[in-house]
Amino acid sequence: MTTVLRVILILMSLLILVVMMRKIRHAKAKIEDSMFWVAFALLLVIFSVFPGAADWLSDLVGTMSTANFIYLLVIFLLMVKSFFMSMRISQLETRVKELVQRIALDNNTLEEQMKEMEKKEQEK
Amino acid sequence: MSDLLIIIPAYNEEKNIECVVDRLREEYPQFDYIVVNDGSKDSTAQICRKNGYRLLDLPVNLGLAGGFQAGLKYAWEHHYTYAIQFDGDGQHRPEYIQAMKDKMAEGYDIVIGSRFVTEKKPRTMRMLGSNMISLAIRLTTGTRIKDPTSGMRMFSRKMIEEFALSLNYGPEPDTVSYLLKQGAKVTEVQVTMDERIAGVSYLNPVNAVKYMSKMLFSILLVQNFRKRDKKYRKKTGEEQV
Repeated sequence: MTTVLRVILILMSLLILVVMMRKIRHAKAKIEDSMFWVAFALLLVIFSVFPGAADWLSDLVGTMSTANFIYLLVIFLLMVKSFFMSMRISQLETRVKELVQRIALDNNTLEEQMKEMEKKEQEK
Repeated sequence: MSDLLIIIPAYNEEKNIECVVDRLREEYPQFDYIVVNDGSKDSTAQICRKNGYRLLDLPVNLGLAGGFQAGLKYAWEHHYTYAIQFDGDGQHRPEYIQAMKDKMAEGYDIVIGSRFVTEKKPRTMRMLGSNMISLAIRLTTGTRIKDPTSGMRMFSRKMIEEFALSLNYGPEPDTVSYLLKQGAKVTEVQVTMDERIAGVSYLNPVNAVKYMSKMLFSILLVQNFRKRDKKYRKKTGEEQV
């Protein structure tokens, strides 16, 4: 890995960390959700500070260069992340749908009851 | 109280809804109905309240599948035996409801109000799409559904339960295909449909292509891998044995 690439990786990691911490400070992100990004950033920092570790893994996998290995790893991690996010969005949409339907059904029951009460009062 | 509920999903139908519902109330008081206002931006909900219609008012827009499902939940909780999906834009004619209900009584799970049982399909772009979906259903289930995209469908009590309480049961041809495969009894009854009274159809070329790809992908691939909830597995098709 060239020094420039290492510096870029470190800067990017720091940026991720800072942004994530700010989000948590301002209560915009849940702590559970920040874990992935912090781990992701730390991983990049480790590889930039100890390029030997990345070289070793790159040899193990058989990629042409260490930089290629880093790309591959990042793409893989982001794909896994986006897969789980997609699952979560599906679940969220289902829950929102259930809630909206429940609200409408309950409101309908209320309105019908109100109508009946009004009718009874008029009869009196 | 009737044993049949007419579910009228309505999204921005302020121009049509009165016409559709008033006709049902005056000429077909033997059937119960409910309007599902799917988070309309116009005054659909106000019009319904003003006229005292039975109304399910969804606070946000869920789309046809979510809106119709809300109607089915209502049907399920209020113990209706049959429920029919009936457009709020005036395309569907109420005079065919009784015929569909009679057919239902012969022991079917789903009865589709079909434009092409005895009538011939016109050769338009839209019907090409309809033919492709028909073919996909025939390939995967062996059953011929002549008008799979018809929005006028009647459901039995057990279908109401299954549609109301499960995920991925949109009122679309892919669900029909899936249920056919699971042994549900589906048939068609000839109906005539009108053009919508006012407003524009949702079906522009871009949406049509999207809809077609989703349906074909779903019918040809996804539906083969679905697992049906145990609760419903034995309920449909047992009469066939």
